[in-house]
Amino acid sequence: MTVILSIAGCLANVMLVLLLAPLAQGILRKLTARIQSRQGPPLLQPYFDLLKLLGKEDIESGEFPPMQRFAAYLSLSTVLAIACFVPMGFSAPMNSAGDLILLIYLLTLSGVCTLLAGLAAGSTYSLLGISREMMTMVTLEPLFAIAIIVGAVHTGSLRLDTVLHGSVWVSNGLPLSGLVMLAVIGLSFQGFVQRVPFDISEAETELMEGPLMEYSGPKLALFKYAQMAKLILYSGLFVALFIPFGSAWVFPIGWLLFWAKVFVLVLSVTLIAATHARYRIDQAIRIFAGLVCVGFVALIFATYGY
Amino acid sequence: MIARDRFEEFKQRFGPLIKRADLPSDRRLFVYIDPSSVKHVCQHIFRELDARYVASIGCDDRPFSGKFLVVHNFAFDKDHLLCGVLAHLPPEKPEIDSITDFVPAASWAEREMRDLIGIEPVGHRYPKRLVLPDGWPDGNHPLRKDVPWNQVPEGFDETREFKFDEPPEGCTVVPFGPFHPTLDEPAHFRLYVEGEMVRGCEYRGFMVHRGIEKLAESVMSYNDIPVLAERICGICGCVHNVAYVQAVEEAAGLTPPPRAEYVRTIMLELERLHSHLLWVGLAGHIVGFDTLFMQSFRIREPIMWIAEKISGNRKTYALCVVGGVRWNITAELKTELRQVLDNLESEWSAVVSAVSGDKNVQSRTRGIGIADAALAKSLGLIGPVARAAGVDIDCRRDHPYAAYDRVEFKVITARDGDVWSRLIVRMQEVFESISIIRQCLEKMEDGPLQLEITDELPVGRIGVSSVEAPRGESHHFVITGENNRPRRWRVRAPTYQNLQGVPAMIKDQQIADMTISLGSIDPCFSCTDRLETIDLRSGAVKVWSQKELLQLTQGRKDTR
Repeated sequence: MTVILSIAGCLANVMLVLLLAPLAQGILRKLTARIQSRQGPPLLQPYFDLLKLLGKEDIESGEFPPMQRFAAYLSLSTVLAIACFVPMGFSAPMNSAGDLILLIYLLTLSGVCTLLAGLAAGSTYSLLGISREMMTMVTLEPLFAIAIIVGAVHTGSLRLDTVLHGSVWVSNGLPLSGLVMLAVIGLSFQGFVQRVPFDISEAETELMEGPLMEYSGPKLALFKYAQMAKLILYSGLFVALFIPFGSAWVFPIGWLLFWAKVFVLVLSVTLIAATHARYRIDQAIRIFAGLVCVGFVALIFATYGY
Repeated sequence: MIARDRFEEFKQRFGPLIKRADLPSDRRLFVYIDPSSVKHVCQHIFRELDARYVASIGCDDRPFSGKFLVVHNFAFDKDHLLCGVLAHLPPEKPEIDSITDFVPAASWAEREMRDLIGIEPVGHRYPKRLVLPDGWPDGNHPLRKDVPWNQVPEGFDETREFKFDEPPEGCTVVPFGPFHPTLDEPAHFRLYVEGEMVRGCEYRGFMVHRGIEKLAESVMSYNDIPVLAERICGICGCVHNVAYVQAVEEAAGLTPPPRAEYVRTIMLELERLHSHLLWVGLAGHIVGFDTLFMQSFRIREPIMWIAEKISGNRKTYALCVVGGVRWNITAELKTELRQVLDNLESEWSAVVSAVSGDKNVQSRTRGIGIADAALAKSLGLIGPVARAAGVDIDCRRDHPYAAYDRVEFKVITARDGDVWSRLIVRMQEVFESISIIRQCLEKMEDGPLQLEITDELPVGRIGVSSVEAPRGESHHFVITGENNRPRRWRVRAPTYQNLQGVPAMIKDQQIADMTISLGSIDPCFSCTDRLETIDLRSGAVKVWSQKELLQLTQGRKDTR
């Protein structure tokens, strides 16, 4: 019975992410346009874009086409795998199949896909792009890991369902480490979802899309899809970790509340992206490195129970 | 009496070297000297007298005087004087001492002279091909008078490739261009990069050199050329239009009616307004701040509309004819223009106050792409680039033309010489332009728009004109000629000087700052000369040559 429930849950999560990710992107684009005094594309435009790309000729290009193809497939499948480990209105479907360590690995793997894509393209600009992506990964990825570990320390467990339910707030007295991590992740959130001011590895005006420059047609569609899904998934993780309140209510209410919170996050991402300039790689790294240090301090607080 | 004073000074110092001098007005001085002492005299002018280098011009004057002519133009900005040093060279082997040893700014101009006229700058440190395409045969100089304007040179070798310099040790080469999303036109920077740092670069441009000067000197007439001149630039076209006409008017001793001068001033300032707004938007786009880009363009749009109402075109105004202007600014248009300016002022104030306080934008632009006053002097940098470095020059004030001597305005300067300072300078200049247009609308007197010209224009006279384009000084040099067209017309656009400063600006900077450092500059693009097709079944690769492609397109035209 639990197996069937798990499978049904996975399917539900994957389908939801696939269905809603382009909508979130559509909202993001529409809102950006309104901020910029433009009409903007219709809300459903990202769906049409994906369909169009998927229907195009599949061109092999770059230094090593098989790897290029593999990177595109891996990128979307990693993101969808993560979807199975994130509680979205009900507990994570693959709760018993994996723990936090696996989740952290999967999150890192989605970054590795970009590296593979850039290596496969093999041009100077894509290599510059992946060197930036590497630098970002090294400093950015630990942040979410620290946030999750803070939760794990608080609850003394690596189980997904215990940790991914506002665990950062569980403490004796004032949840100091939770507050610090909320600020840290809040400040670096644009980086996780690869939006301005931290969309450095793909900066169009500097690197011409960087690692993705050789991609076109269906493979590009997969990468774009993965990127859109990342926005939803990181928002979902953020909600699960920091603002789970109400998620435990009976099915439709808790579930609706979860998605409402995710879309509020999407809106805030849009607002920040529309009102900022892109940071340079060294400036971004400096910011992330500072945040990592703060994160470690929070981790120390957590071990002492604050 | 500045021109005369200067000339007396020269006479005392160089006495016998001076062969002849022209002082057409108090603001112009042309001294003819012996070619062997050009270097010496230029050094004195540039170093001791601290003049600003403007342009060098080479002319094939053989059909008229039997000799080649070289002109080095300098500006004494504080004295409101433009000074030309001219030298005639023997027709057999035209050579002149290069002045680049102490005027690095003349580097391109001398290389161009070498390419197009065949005048050899002796002692030039970097006499590489600049303007001509890679396959162009050596020894063929298209701007010489015995070369027809439509010549297809014998021995064009399309396989010949440009030889780039060796990159310094430990650096990888990152090609920036010819096609790059932030370059709207083709230009190729070969960046030498160490990690993320740019250690140097080599520039190869002029990929869409259109031979406008040659065309004007051989087939067009005085009043055709303004329209052609306007098409030199897609943003500051009116500047070239006005500058050319003013140079011809100066050479022929014509003064346009006052109302025409006011109309010219208004149109030039309208052009500055839309150009500055466009640039601020693009700068925002380059650093990833697209909201600034979109808002600037929205605010800019009414300026385009009012320009269209005045001239019939959003951008290419076709404003000037020799001796006047074509379009009038009627009472109705005046009211509308005032309305546009009021809206612009209030909306732009909001943008300026938002951007001025934005730490995020500052973090990307402060201390980036620095060009200090010393660099501006040695490379002849002009316009907002120079003013941002605290160099107080502006042709509108220093070499007044049109109606600028009848309006009041501030010349905006900044201190740091970085991208941020340039941004501030341009944003503030918008308010000055608004004020200039308002004053013009106030002071404009009724009267004719064009001068009646009944006689042929005199032959063999020299006219120069410096017009402050949005990007800097645009300098035109004209020698009047026979057949109702100039003998020589040389255009020095502001980017010609400012682009030479880019390698120094981007050196030892992050590669990410390259685009914003280059931001204010407008290079130009070419079409592809080769095309590759692959037979899918056999996998055979066929490379189409330029010749075959031409045949392909022309053959099709014939069958139609």
